[in-house]
Amino acid sequence: MLLALQSLAAYSSPTLRWGADPSGGAPYVYADPANPQTYTGFDYEFAEALARQMRMRAEFVPTDWESIVASLNRKEFDVIINGFEPTEDRAREMLFSKPYYLFRLQLTVRKDNNLISSLEDCKTNGKSVGTLVNCAASRLLESGGYIVKGYQDPVGAYQDLELGRVDAVLMDVAAEMFYARRNSSLKPAGKPFHTGAYVVGIRKSDSLLAAKVNAAIDSLADNGTTERIFRKWQLWDDEQLKLRTKGTEPYAMTSQDFNWTEGLIKLLKAAGVTVLLAFGAMIIAVILGIPLALGQSKGGRITGTLCTVYIEFFRGTPVLVQLLFLYFGLPVIGITLPGWLTAIVGLGLNYAAYESQVYRSAFQAVPERQWQVAYSLGMRPFQAFRRIIFPQAFRIALPPMTNDFVALFKDTSTAFAIAVWELATAYRELANATQSYLGIGLIVCLYYLAMSLPLAHYAHRLERKLQRKSTGILTSGTEQ
Amino acid sequence: MITISELGKTVGTTQLLSNVSMEFPTGKILGVIGPSGNGKTTLLLCLSGLLPFDRGSITIGVTSITAEESSLRSEKIWQFRRQSGIVFQHLHLFPHLTVLRNITEAPIHVNGKPKAVAETEALALLEKLGIGQHRNKYPEELSGGEQQRVAILRAIAMNPEVLLLDEPTSALDPIRSGDVRNLLQDFTATGHTVVIVSHSVRFLRGFADYLAFMGKSELIEMNRTQQLLENPQDERTREFLHLSEMN
Repeated sequence: MLLALQSLAAYSSPTLRWGADPSGGAPYVYADPANPQTYTGFDYEFAEALARQMRMRAEFVPTDWESIVASLNRKEFDVIINGFEPTEDRAREMLFSKPYYLFRLQLTVRKDNNLISSLEDCKTNGKSVGTLVNCAASRLLESGGYIVKGYQDPVGAYQDLELGRVDAVLMDVAAEMFYARRNSSLKPAGKPFHTGAYVVGIRKSDSLLAAKVNAAIDSLADNGTTERIFRKWQLWDDEQLKLRTKGTEPYAMTSQDFNWTEGLIKLLKAAGVTVLLAFGAMIIAVILGIPLALGQSKGGRITGTLCTVYIEFFRGTPVLVQLLFLYFGLPVIGITLPGWLTAIVGLGLNYAAYESQVYRSAFQAVPERQWQVAYSLGMRPFQAFRRIIFPQAFRIALPPMTNDFVALFKDTSTAFAIAVWELATAYRELANATQSYLGIGLIVCLYYLAMSLPLAHYAHRLERKLQRKSTGILTSGTEQ
Repeated sequence: MITISELGKTVGTTQLLSNVSMEFPTGKILGVIGPSGNGKTTLLLCLSGLLPFDRGSITIGVTSITAEESSLRSEKIWQFRRQSGIVFQHLHLFPHLTVLRNITEAPIHVNGKPKAVAETEALALLEKLGIGQHRNKYPEELSGGEQQRVAILRAIAMNPEVLLLDEPTSALDPIRSGDVRNLLQDFTATGHTVVIVSHSVRFLRGFADYLAFMGKSELIEMNRTQQLLENPQDERTREFLHLSEMN
């Protein structure tokens, strides 16, 4: 009876829908390892306490970190509670509550690295620093002119650090404690620095809600609830006591003013990476497709089966999964490739499967008699292939190959999943920084078109030039 | 001398050639006649070294292959193929090469002839057949008759011992015209042999030196053209000739 009343009360009370990214989100919000159906983390506990204090029912809405502000403004949830930092650029888009926790940043390096003991060392030695995209650390690094590599979650960043794909990782102490402190191959470089604050993010129009949230944060700080939660997660320090006094806010706010010229140059660089990925992958695909096609149609039973298995595997599984597998799976057996090379190899291996099928049908379209004529003129198989069969098959294969290349061009966007800074990644990051999904989106589309249209145009011209010589295949009759 | 002895070829349960033996001298034109589907083209493909056979052997000049050798990718089959040139019924010119390069491709890249020499020789042949002006065109731009001339020149340019023509009457016109006939007669005059497979007796009369009549998968009889036409020995030959006359 009591239980029923409680749950009734819970359902009748208003809901505080809060958003956070639980993937790689420990110790903020993450799936409870003991009970994966539910979530845990200090932000999870803090959100529950906050809602209770406001006499509301907390409802967690899992979301994506990178686009969390856009999701808030799309009203997918009411507040952001996700180790969320106030920044000057975000201040234009939204309201911030009072801080409920003061955090610091920690730099981490590999155990054997004695070169880097501070962020300055990274700059002077030209070392790359990994961090989460769209956070205080990334803003600090970008405005400081460091070589930055952005990650979607801390797991990937620290894994790349271990594998040597990045030289240092800068992260909030909370994440560093959870993901790096216990890793014996990594060590902290220098002391924690830069005090920042975690706040609750609220839509600009919800000033009433903001006032209620602020009141609740004050109460939680003063009645010791906040301390209890963060002590439990071993994140409490006396610095936090400053939040109880209602004086000036003792934290620094990072800023990222979007510079359009710089943004366009960044996009241009990303477009360059996209071109590199597309051409690199196509070269692999075009070359590797030949032995695959030959193996499948002319190889013995074992070779043929192996080629078929390869082709069906790469055509039948998503290229995104293949890239993740290569990036995170291969290091397990000791093969560690940098992200851009992984993308080239992965896309190349994938498209080789498609090209092999283009070749196979093209070779089948060249009449068998062409081989016989070549043989009767004394040509050996390789000579006949090179001089007679290949040029004809090439003309047949060219249009579908052009199609594949344009498709590959667009598929390079999957490389965002493995932290390659290509055009689609650049779009997400810059659009998030500016909240200008439409404007930057249009620019990115223009970049893509500026690359794919000339490609299609030249391929079409080449086709037409070759077509004039090749229609003999279409006019030659069949023979019994 | 070209010698075919006890040649046999079976595909599945179908016998395409059974025990075919014949001999004819070089420097002559041999016509092979008979109804369609009686193994004429199969015989021609065996002669060209492009189709493996099951039994017997073929000798052209000093080169011969046996059934075993015909099915292996041995050095011998490659040499044997060089003895003959073939012109298919549907010609199968190389559609991606110009007329001139259709003819010079093999002499240059197989025989290692200097390009200039190969082209001069090819041009002379083209001029002889009155199609020199088409040298830079692609096969599809030519008429059927012109294409056939190019196909014949492509084979002749490799200077084979034997020239094999499969059903040339389907492109018909040119082979009966004086210049192609002269070309083939010049070719035989230098000791080369021409074998023409055709279902048309009328076309071979007065052109071929010898005629061979193929019945169902076997050689029925072979003789000098005039003798075979005027005095056929076998009932089946008589019947075929009679039907041909009526057409």
